[in-house]
Amino acid sequence: MTATTLASSRGSSARAAGVVADLLKVFPDLQVQNTIDDMPTVWATRESVRQVLACLKRGLSPGYSMLYDLTAIDERVRANRRGQPASDFTVVYQLLSFERNGFIRIKVPLRDNDLHIETISDIWPNANWYERECRDMFGICFDNHPTPYPLIMPATWHGHPLRKEHPARATEMEPFSLPDEIQDQEQEALRFDPAKWGMTRHGDSTDFMFLNLGPNHPSVHGVFRVALQLDGEEIVDAVPDIGYHHRGAEKMGERQAWHSYMPYTDRVDYLGGVMNNLPYVMAIEKMAGIEVSDRVKTIRVMLSECFRIQSHFLFFGTFAQDVGQMSPIFYIFTDREMMFNIIETITGGRMHPSWFRIGGVAQDLPRGWDIKLREFIKRMRKNMPHYRSMVLNNRILKQRTVGVGVYDTATAIEWGVTGGGLRATGFNWDMRKQIPYSGYQNFDFDIPLGINGDAYDRALVRFEEIIQSLRIIEQCLDHMPEGPYKADHPLTTPPPKERTMRDIETLIHHFVHESWGPAIPAGEACTPIEATKGLNSYYLVSDGNTTSYRTRIRTPSFAHLQMIPEMCRGMMVADVIAIIASIDFVMADVDR
Amino acid sequence: MSYGASLITHLWPLVLFLVLVIGLISLMLAGPYFLGSRRNARATGEPYECGIVPVGSAQYHVPIPFYLFAIFFVIFDLEAVFLFAWAVAVRETGWAGFIEALVFIVILLVALLYLWRLGALDWRTFRQKRDRASVLLR
Amino acid sequence: MSSITANILNVVGILVFVVASAAMLTWVERRMLGIWQERYGPNRVGPFGILQVAADMIKLLMKEDWVPPFADRFVFVVAPTIAMFVVVAAYAVIPMAPGIGVIDLNIGLLFFLAMTSLSAYSVMFGAYASDNKYALLGGLRAAAQMLSYEVFLGLSLMGVVMLAGTFNLREIVLAQQEQWFVIPQFLAMLLFFIAGIAESHRTPFDLPEAEHELTAGFHTEYSGMKFGMFFIGEYVSVLLTASMMVVLFFGGWLGPVLPPLVWFLLKTSILVLLMILIRGALPRPRYDQLMAFGWKVMLPLAMINLVVTGVLVLV
Repeated sequence: MTATTLASSRGSSARAAGVVADLLKVFPDLQVQNTIDDMPTVWATRESVRQVLACLKRGLSPGYSMLYDLTAIDERVRANRRGQPASDFTVVYQLLSFERNGFIRIKVPLRDNDLHIETISDIWPNANWYERECRDMFGICFDNHPTPYPLIMPATWHGHPLRKEHPARATEMEPFSLPDEIQDQEQEALRFDPAKWGMTRHGDSTDFMFLNLGPNHPSVHGVFRVALQLDGEEIVDAVPDIGYHHRGAEKMGERQAWHSYMPYTDRVDYLGGVMNNLPYVMAIEKMAGIEVSDRVKTIRVMLSECFRIQSHFLFFGTFAQDVGQMSPIFYIFTDREMMFNIIETITGGRMHPSWFRIGGVAQDLPRGWDIKLREFIKRMRKNMPHYRSMVLNNRILKQRTVGVGVYDTATAIEWGVTGGGLRATGFNWDMRKQIPYSGYQNFDFDIPLGINGDAYDRALVRFEEIIQSLRIIEQCLDHMPEGPYKADHPLTTPPPKERTMRDIETLIHHFVHESWGPAIPAGEACTPIEATKGLNSYYLVSDGNTTSYRTRIRTPSFAHLQMIPEMCRGMMVADVIAIIASIDFVMADVDR
Repeated sequence: MSYGASLITHLWPLVLFLVLVIGLISLMLAGPYFLGSRRNARATGEPYECGIVPVGSAQYHVPIPFYLFAIFFVIFDLEAVFLFAWAVAVRETGWAGFIEALVFIVILLVALLYLWRLGALDWRTFRQKRDRASVLLR
Repeated sequence: MSSITANILNVVGILVFVVASAAMLTWVERRMLGIWQERYGPNRVGPFGILQVAADMIKLLMKEDWVPPFADRFVFVVAPTIAMFVVVAAYAVIPMAPGIGVIDLNIGLLFFLAMTSLSAYSVMFGAYASDNKYALLGGLRAAAQMLSYEVFLGLSLMGVVMLAGTFNLREIVLAQQEQWFVIPQFLAMLLFFIAGIAESHRTPFDLPEAEHELTAGFHTEYSGMKFGMFFIGEYVSVLLTASMMVVLFFGGWLGPVLPPLVWFLLKTSILVLLMILIRGALPRPRYDQLMAFGWKVMLPLAMINLVVTGVLVLV
């Protein structure tokens, strides 16, 4: 097991070296940075970055077809930057190649007095939102951006939250108040301005209606707003607006200790529960050099799959409900409740157990943990065919969703769509199979695929994924390895409590980790996982302190929402609801 | 007894019923007027549009497809009314009446078929048709 | 004199019955959906939660009598009045049992059709007066849907009229002593049932107020008792559709052993429950699909039914 992991990581670094060598042939000026996660990382300059990215997308074969993430780091107070070019703000582009099964990271240094960089939204359309987010958070100006307006922060906000000088706590700011005139200003700032988005108020023969769908609307799944330009019932154009659920989860990461940040991750994709912990702890473990036991890996996989089922249940129920079918969600919630009881038995928590730990899990599995799980699997084997005939085989539902919100694989990749939304187009790429993590390579399961990439296929793929997750859980039940539930490593947090009373070393670690938190060695790591809704990762930068220097959360929902106008144009209002229902997002996962 | 008087003796329960219904509705409207609370917050007087200040008013020019319904309704419902008269007298009019009605219905059906072929009964948008045609049906 | 007393009793009794059972239906629907969906439904107020109805009524009465300042005040108030009035008024011609019924009109069926077609106004007025975009979209959908299904509603009944040879509902019931009309007119029964659900805009035909699309559709700006009147109107409409089906297709009060009124109520209840079950089971089609279904399926079928029935009656 350990041998294969080592071999595969060596293989990936060899592949990584290949890309960098190819790239250096074209751009000899690039500077290479070694990172702990073996993700090839190169520094470009502001002038060359567009060519580098274009070359990575189209020039190399196979190319990096997806812009996986785009973010920035405020480097001004970072101490451990040895071997990196001088930079006040670093823009980080992260690309994904499906053919190579690998990522690449491109960094561009910017100086404080000159925060300008050319947009790449013409190379990847999904760069649009990422660049707007960067502008909000760091004040970096993306030149020639088509719509350079605030995205996450309110238009009235002063300052850039992810800059180091911006306060992280409410107590460091003026007490909050909302007098009437400020409220009016805020409301006015939210009013939709068609001209700003290049829309006209009148068509050739009709007036257009501008309708706000959300933020307070029953089917936008949270506080999400789409401004629709309507010609009767037909959508002429749509402008999604996010940020109503923004809680500054990334900023929190810079303030909380590595260990005490764990509960915040649960609440990012709040339907994913402990699955959110996984990319976070794996990135930390990489930096800390912790190798966890097979038992820990299997427990993590099992609980992650439990939460995948939970999330897909909710998706499936609300999907049926949003096209007007009232009952399935109630049946599904009975099953969901059962699963929550099982999760509670194992972890003590229900929706947000925050149960994974740096170097393991919080506790060992309780005695008899598998009995209820087996019952659950038996029950679901019986219930799933009912749900299929009730929802997926319903002719009205098919009428409503087949051929609605269609996109093909190429479009999906252009827009950064991952997870079920990508597999619904028939593209066979699941991180658990392609770049296995946490021991997924040891499991036998299939990757369900769609054909048409429409709303119906997205539901179908997730429905089948529930069945596959049941298979994975069953294998965990049958082959749960023995072993410690926490790694024997000084940075395991917290260290096993039962040993603290035996040896002084563990007692000291326990004391330090509980009071200040562990100090993770300086470095950078990012370990994407196949989360409930698509690829999710935590790009962590450690400066050797007890808190993270920069926590970047790449969530799938953010990218998916950006594609809504593409899917909605020329459809009707009712289709928008079916499309939104089929995306499977939660606003906390979008806004963070 | 005159025709009017007999009408009244016959219809008075209906009139009484309608008067009582109106009375009940008035009560339902009046009740909250006296019992209901009064409150006026800052945003009470704004139209509901998901919590955002609206752009433009809801009084705008309704797109043409909606008028099509009205026209179809006028055509077909009026024709249907003629059929009502035939339906109640179908035995009296016999086969002659039936053939006339049949001709009438066939003309109506032909008109419907014409509208159908014209695409007037398909209110889908261009994209809805295209996307639906592009997918594989299972 | 005794006939006048009987008439007054009839009038008052039926009014109370209609309004009370419509109010009761709100509770029945929630309880039944609860049972079918593996949950409780309202079960706290009174035994089995039956006093929930009273609690809701009191709540509605205590709500603010609110007309938005941007609304057309007069039309805004008139709209729910029409919604409630027409459906209750239409109940006047339903013969519940021998001697029970407000009035025995020769044109009873036409009176019913006239009243139901008026209900389109309530929705359109409500939507238009609200000056709200969601309401407007709901109103446009409602207008299109109700006008279309109006045509099929009337046409589907003409087969029954042919068989009975009259528009008088009491005579139509009596014409079914040999055989309920549901047997020769099964297709017409289905058409009427579908059109009836569409007229009362309930799931799967609830597009005008599709909660997940248009928040509350045409009654978005309504609250308190004025909303309550739309709400009660909908349930009266359910009761009306079910009663009408019983009268036209299921032999009205006719049936062995049990008293006629019991038969009528029993048959009506079954149909009402069926409508509730449909609400629990089906998704909602899209507006264009609903229209296409009406004009391309319902209308030709209704016409063909008419021709075939004509032949059968004459042979």
